[in-house]
Amino acid sequence: MNLKQASIFQAFVVTLKRDLLIAYKRKNDIVNPFMFFLITSSLFPIGISPDPSRLGEIAAGVLWISALLASLLAMDNLYRADFEDGSLEQLLVSPHPLYFLVLAKNIGHWLVSGLPVVLISPLIAYMINLPQESYSVLFFTLLIGTPILSLVGSIGVALTVGLGSRGLILAMISLPMSVPVLIAGTLAIQETANGAPLAGYLAIMGAMLLGSITLAPLASALALRISVN
Amino acid sequence: MWLWFAKLGSPKWFYDVSDRWLPWLAGAMALFMIVGVIWALLFLPPDYQQGLTTRILVIHVAVAGTSLAFFPLMAVAGTITLVWKMKLADMVAKNAAALGAWFSFVTLATGSIWGSVMWGTWWEWTDARLVSMLFQFFLLLSVVALRSAIEDTDKAAKACALLSIVGCINVVIIKYSVEWWNVLHQPASPLSMSSDNANGPEFWMATGVMIIAVYLFFIVSLILTTRNEILQREKRSQWVQDIVRAA
Amino acid sequence: MTQSIQFSSISEFLDMGGYAFNVWAVYAVFLVFIFVNLVFPIVRRKKILREIKKQSVFEHTDTDSTD
Repeated sequence: MNLKQASIFQAFVVTLKRDLLIAYKRKNDIVNPFMFFLITSSLFPIGISPDPSRLGEIAAGVLWISALLASLLAMDNLYRADFEDGSLEQLLVSPHPLYFLVLAKNIGHWLVSGLPVVLISPLIAYMINLPQESYSVLFFTLLIGTPILSLVGSIGVALTVGLGSRGLILAMISLPMSVPVLIAGTLAIQETANGAPLAGYLAIMGAMLLGSITLAPLASALALRISVN
Repeated sequence: MWLWFAKLGSPKWFYDVSDRWLPWLAGAMALFMIVGVIWALLFLPPDYQQGLTTRILVIHVAVAGTSLAFFPLMAVAGTITLVWKMKLADMVAKNAAALGAWFSFVTLATGSIWGSVMWGTWWEWTDARLVSMLFQFFLLLSVVALRSAIEDTDKAAKACALLSIVGCINVVIIKYSVEWWNVLHQPASPLSMSSDNANGPEFWMATGVMIIAVYLFFIVSLILTTRNEILQREKRSQWVQDIVRAA
Repeated sequence: MTQSIQFSSISEFLDMGGYAFNVWAVYAVFLVFIFVNLVFPIVRRKKILREIKKQSVFEHTDTDSTD
C-alpha cells in the first residue's frame, strides 16, 4: 500500500483550490455577476425615479433583489463546465464523502461570484441613496445572506445540470426558495433603521446559514447523483 | 410487514384495490358535497359582520385546508421513491403536484373574491396566508416544471422526489418568515384578519362537512389520475393488456 | 339545532344578500375546479385505453408477420 490515502480535509482543499484556479484563469466568472449586479441596480433609478428620497425608501429591496438575481445567474456555472468535461463524474466516484466536495465547490463559487457583489454593495448603496446608517447592516446581511442563496441555489442547479434549457426552470426552482433570506435581509435593514438592534437579525441569518451549510450540500450531493449517471 | 409493504408498492395491487374502493369514495364524495353545498347556500344564517359572504368562506376554508396536505404528501412519497424506489409512490407524487397547484390556485382565487368584499381589494400583501399560499403555488409549479423538463422517467421521479422534500421544508420556513415579515410590516390598517375567526358553530359544522367533501374529492381525483399513470407506464404488462381487451 | 332556509324567494336567493357576484363566482370556480379534475382524468383514461389497444394490435400483427 504505497498509495497515500488523501484525507477528507485534503480532498476538500484540493477541490476548492482547483475551482478557484479555474475561476482565476477564466476572469469573466468573477466579473460577470459583479457587472450584472451593477447594471441591474442602476436600472431601478431609471425605471422608478431619480428622486433621492423615493430611491432611499426602496434601496434595501433593490440591492437585495439585484444581489439575489446576480447570484441566481451566476449559479449556472457551478456544475455545468464540470459536467460537460466529465470531471463532475470523477467527483462522484471519488472515495470521499460527496458532502465535503460539494461544500468546497459551493464555497469556491461563492468566493468568486458572491463575495465581489457583497464588496461592491456599499458603492451601489451610495448611488441609490440608502440611508447612511444602513451601510454596515447591508454589508453584513449580504455577507451572511449570499452564501445561503448559493447553498440553496446549488440544489436547483444540481437537479437541472443535465438539462438542455435550464435557465428558466432554475429560476422557478430557486427564486421562491430565496424568500426567507430576502425577508430576513431586508427586514434587518429596515428595522435597524427604525432603531431595532442588529444582533437579533444577524443571529437569525446566522442560524439560516448554519442550517443551509449542514443540509443544503447533502441535498445537492444527492441531486448530483440523480442527474449524473 | 415487508410483504405488505411490497404488495402496496405494486401498481397492479393499487389498481385492483382502487377499483373496489372508487365507487364508495365517489359516492361518499358526492353525498358530502351535495349536503355541504346545500347547507352552505341555503341554510347557513348570515353572519352579523360578514353577511352572506360566509358562504364563500365555507368553500375557501375547505379548499385551503386541503391544499396544505400536498407538500407533506409529496415529501413522504418522495422519501419512499428515493429510499425504496417504489414506482407507485412516484405515480402518486406526479399527479399530486399538478393537483396541488390547482388547489393552491383555487384557494387564491376564492380568497381574493372574498377579500374583494371584506377588504375592498382583490389582493392584499398584508395577509400572510395569501402570500405564503402564493409561494406554495409557485413551488408546486416548479415541481411540475421540473417533471416536464426531464425526459427520462426514472430520473424525473428521483429529481422531483428530492425537490418535493426540499420544497416541503421550504414551505414551512416560508410560512413562518412571511408571518414574521407581516407582523413587522403591519401598518395601522383597517384590514383586520380577525373577522374570519368570529364565525359561529354552524359555520364550522357546514365547513366541516365541506372539508370532508373536498378531501374525498382530492382522494378520488388523485386515484383517477394515478390509475391513468399506471395504465400508461405498465402498458406492456399482461394484466394491463387484459384490461384493455376487456374494455 | 333548528335551521331553516334563509331565503323566502328565488330572487332573494340569487341575490345572496347583495353579494351575488362574489358568492356565485366562488361557486362557479369551485364547480369548474371539481369538474376539470374529475372529468378530465376519466376522459383521459378512455383515450389511454384506446391508444394501448391500437398499439397492441399493431404489435400483434407485427409478430404475426415475422412468424
